[in-house]
Formats: sequence, structure tokens, C-alpha cells
Amino acid sequence: MNSLYMPKDSLIHSLDPRTKMLFVVFVVASSFILNDPALQLVFLVALFPLVVMAKVVKPYLISIQFLLLFAVLIMTVHGIYNPIGVTPVFEIFGGLTFKYESMVYASVMSFRILVIGTAAVLFVMTTHPSDMASALVKWKVPHSFAFILLSTFQIIPIIAREAKIVMEAQQARCLDVKGSLIQRVKNLVPMFAPLFIITFMKVHQLSYVLECRAFSRKGEKTSLRETKIGSLDYTFLLGMLGFLAFEIYLKLFMMGSLQLTTDALLTYSLFGTWIVFGFMIIKFVVKQFQGKIGGAN
Amino acid sequence: MEPYISVKNVSHKYPNGVTAIKDINLDIHEGEVVAILGSNGSGKTTLVKHFNGLLKPTKGEITVGTMNTKKERISKLSSRVGYVFQNPNHQTFLPSVKQELAYGCKNLKMTEEDIETRVQKAIDLFRLEDRLDDNPFDLNSSQRKEVAMASIMAVSPKVIVLDEPTTGQDHKGCKRVLELVRMFQREGHIVVLITHDMHLIGELNCRTVVMNQSEKIADDHASVVFSDKGIMEEAGLQPPQITQFANQITNLDEMKTYLTVESIIEWMKANKEEDVKVGTGS
Ligand SMILES: Nc1ncnc2c1ncn2[C@@H]1O[C@H](COP(=O)(O)OP(=O)(O)OP(=O)(O)O)[C@@H](O)[C@H]1O
Ligand SMILES: [Mg+2]
Repeated sequence: MNSLYMPKDSLIHSLDPRTKMLFVVFVVASSFILNDPALQLVFLVALFPLVVMAKVVKPYLISIQFLLLFAVLIMTVHGIYNPIGVTPVFEIFGGLTFKYESMVYASVMSFRILVIGTAAVLFVMTTHPSDMASALVKWKVPHSFAFILLSTFQIIPIIAREAKIVMEAQQARCLDVKGSLIQRVKNLVPMFAPLFIITFMKVHQLSYVLECRAFSRKGEKTSLRETKIGSLDYTFLLGMLGFLAFEIYLKLFMMGSLQLTTDALLTYSLFGTWIVFGFMIIKFVVKQFQGKIGGAN
Repeated sequence: MEPYISVKNVSHKYPNGVTAIKDINLDIHEGEVVAILGSNGSGKTTLVKHFNGLLKPTKGEITVGTMNTKKERISKLSSRVGYVFQNPNHQTFLPSVKQELAYGCKNLKMTEEDIETRVQKAIDLFRLEDRLDDNPFDLNSSQRKEVAMASIMAVSPKVIVLDEPTTGQDHKGCKRVLELVRMFQREGHIVVLITHDMHLIGELNCRTVVMNQSEKIADDHASVVFSDKGIMEEAGLQPPQITQFANQITNLDEMKTYLTVESIIEWMKANKEEDVKVGTGS
């Protein structure tokens, strides 16, 4: 796998990268405009059909797990300890009480992370890195800058692969990677020193390769992968604009009368994240266990 | 005699679903030198990574000494099975050769004196006296490879695994590898080496395992394997030039495979009066 990009044939994939970039901006803006847990939850659910349309449900769920970890942490810790909370909602053992205001705050924050994360994952998974670079160039971003962005995307999997080899190579030198915490911190040196040197060498090599292929030549450059904004993009952009207008209207004129956020909703979403998190832990433990038995760790 | 490494019905499937080795059986005894041959992607590296536990079999079992690799830590197995990676840059990172040599022993928490004697032994074996304070990154690639090898040998593992030791080496470097492998054998180590260098195997005249498409298709002495046309063709291999040459001379000893120039010259000396007869080969 060269990057996070998932080559699939879908409507979302065929959108112009610029449209998708605007989409990410739109989602970020919306997540700040809709700073109400209920609305954000609706928004999050509304984004899911796009993920389905892009045919990346499984990889999406895998990558969103990490963000969910943050969400659980924020919702639990903030919900109990954030000092802005005054109205108790419910108490768990030991006098730890979830309070309404802090739960609202925590939910807004964690849903925002999930919403923005979803849009970002959707963008990265459906956009070929080269397309993104050529789209940026069309926006008059300097070619070399677009390339820096592109190569950063592409070098991450390379570094990950090298990191794995270095780890094995150091284990072959009797390094115990499963030691105590202090031992593990010490192990960072034999891990990162070779990795750093190798990455440096690779980047150095890359610069030579680029020069050999006339990278720094002045003047107009053409691109192998052309991107074009078509009717689909306009439809999509119009849709986004409509939504944005609706959100602003909602925010300005309806917020007073609309009270979607209730204790129940907050509690359920907290429990929801806990349950999903619980499943993740169970899955992880089962996997570890299988690894021990089957030896496939 | 009990084999030191015993591979029993081992398969390995990577998490991405690629089965890189299939149902491999292999016994390696004390004092053996084993060459592993095969085209790119045939599973050679995957196989030898099982010897020090970097990979665990998804099916079957491997015993090293008396240890089952599934149940042991890599760091412990690595003190018995030294693995020299193809690219020394993955392995070396300390600022001086001397520190590099001591590193493995330190990981094993040996005493100062113990480390000192072992490092000294490696220095003597590899003749590194003059380079002790050099930074490994200032050395040329064959010297750096030698330092990587020396640092693995300093732990004095029973088995030493070399992954493509001659790739990218000049003639002198290749000759040095040959010398080192012979020396390891003299010192009582088991040597497992992966290589595409047929000439090297010819010179070593050792046991040869041929991998093809994840399976072991041959395991015999180099002279037997090299003369088996079916196997060689299946694995896409060509015997050393001197063997090909010998095969064209019809009045050579039919039962013998000639792996080195010296062996041909010997034959020529012994058969002075006879003319060399060139044919299409057998
Ligand atoms: N970490 C990995 N994850 C998934 N597949 C892998 C991994 N490492 C190797 N493979 C695959 O397993 C197969 C065997 O690879 P292996 O590296 O063992 O071959 P090899 O004989 O050492 O080849 P080479 O001569 O190129 O070094 C290949 O098809 C390879 O793509
Ligand atoms: Mg290999």
C-alpha cells in the first residue's frame, strides 16, 4: 500500500480534488457553526452515507477507531472533572458525577473531532495524492510546495516500512522490545537513530532523482493526471452552499426555540462511546489471546 | 544426531494474506553451512526470519537448540541465532565500531569482563584493530557490512544467518565474505546464507536448499542440485559458468559436478594426454 488512498470506482472518487478540499473546509466550518451536540450528531450521521457511497466503509471504520479513543477520553474525563459543570445529570460509583454543562462541552468537542476526522479520512481515501497536487497547482500554489505536500504523503508509508525493518534489525541484536517502560524509552535511540539516518538518505536520494528529471526547470508544467471540474462538482458545491445557508439560518433564528440536546441524549451518547470502546477492547484482547495460542503475533 | 534447527511443516501467512512459505521441512545440524537459493519473492527471507523468532510460524513448529521459537523471546533466540540484515544501515547506529561490537552483549546484560573478552574475540576474528574508533558511517559499504557482521558475531551465536551478504559488493568484498563464511565454519558455527551468487555457492561447495514459489523444491549438496536440470530450470537458476562449461566437455567424469575452476584444472592435470572433447553437454 503506497498511501491511504483506496482506488475505487465511485461518485466521490470522481469528484475534483478541489471540490473535496472545499468539502473538508465546509465540514470544519459547519462543525463550528453547529456547536450543539445534537446537531453535530445529526451531522455525523448525515456524513456516513458519503462514506458508503465512496465504498470505503471498512477502512474508514478502522481509521476512525483511533479518533473514537479520543472521544471516549474527552467525554469521560471532561464530563466528570470539567469545572464549568454545575447541574448533575447522573452519578456513577464513588461520587463521580457527570454534569450537564461539562457533558455538553465534552460532547461538542468529541463530536467535532469525529466529524472533522470523517471528512479528512474521506478526502484522503478518495483522492489520489497526485491529483491533489495537480489540483493545488491549479489554485496557483507553487509547484514545489504542492510536491512537498505530495511527497510527505508518500513518504509516510515508506518510513513505516523502514521502521519495521529497523525494529527487527535491532531485535536481531538482542534488544528486548517487550521490557519495562524505562527500557522501552531507552529503546527509542536504537529505533530512531537508524530510521532517521535512513530517511535522511532517502530524501537526499530523492532530491537527486528529481534533479535528474528536470524538476527545477522554469516555466509551465503539464500534469499526467488532469483534473477537471464538471457538473457533478457544481451540484456538490451547490449542495454544500445550501447546507451552509441552512446552518447559518438555524443558528441565527432557531436556536432559541430549538432544544434538541437533552440529558438523555448526552447520557446515551456517552454510553454509546463506552460500548463501542468496550467492543474495541474485547476485540483487541481476543486478538492478543489468539496470537498467544496461534503464535501469530 | 539431533538437528540444531528443526523446521517442521512450517507455513507462514502474512497479515495481508500472502502465504510466503508453505509446509517447509528442514533440519540443520551442527557445523553445517546451508545456502538458500531461489528467485525474488520465493520466501527465502521469510523462512530464515523464523530462525530467530522475528516471525512465528502460522502453522507448524520450529525448534532451535531445545527452544520452541513460539515460546521464546526474540532477544533470547537472537543470542543463539545471529541475523545479519542485508542493509547494514538498519543495524548499525552507534558512533564507533567498538561500541557497535559491544552493543549486543550489553543488551544481554553481560558483565564488563565478559563483554570485553567477546569484543576482543570479534576484533581478532575480523581484524578490526585499526578501525575501532572509526564511525561506521565513514566506512565503505563492504567494511560497514563487516562491522555489522562482527557486531552480531560478538554475541557468539551458535547460528549465523546472512541475508544476501555479497549483493552490491565488489570482487574483494565477495572474496572476503567467502573467507568469513569458512572462518565461521572453522569456529564451529552453523552458517545459513541466502544468496543469488552461484559462484559463491560453488566455492563453498555446501548444502543447498532451493526455494520456489513458497515451497522447498530441493535440498542437497550443491553439486547434486546444480546438475539437476529440472530443478534449476524450475527455479529459474543457472549454475556457475564453470559448471556450465564442464557440462559441455563430454569426457569429464560423468558422475562428478565441477563447481570451481580449480576442480577442472585438477582434472586437466590428471588427464594431460587426453584431448578435451567438446560436445552439446548432458
Ligand atoms: N512484511 C510482509 N508483509 C506481507 N507480505 C510480505 C512481507 N514480506 C514479504 N512478503 C511477501 O512474501 C513473499 C516472499 O517474500 P520474501 O521476502 O520472503 O522473499 P525472498 O525470497 O527473500 O525474496 P528476495 O530475493 O527479493 O529477497 C513475497 O511475495 C513478498 O511480497
Ligand atoms: Mg529476501
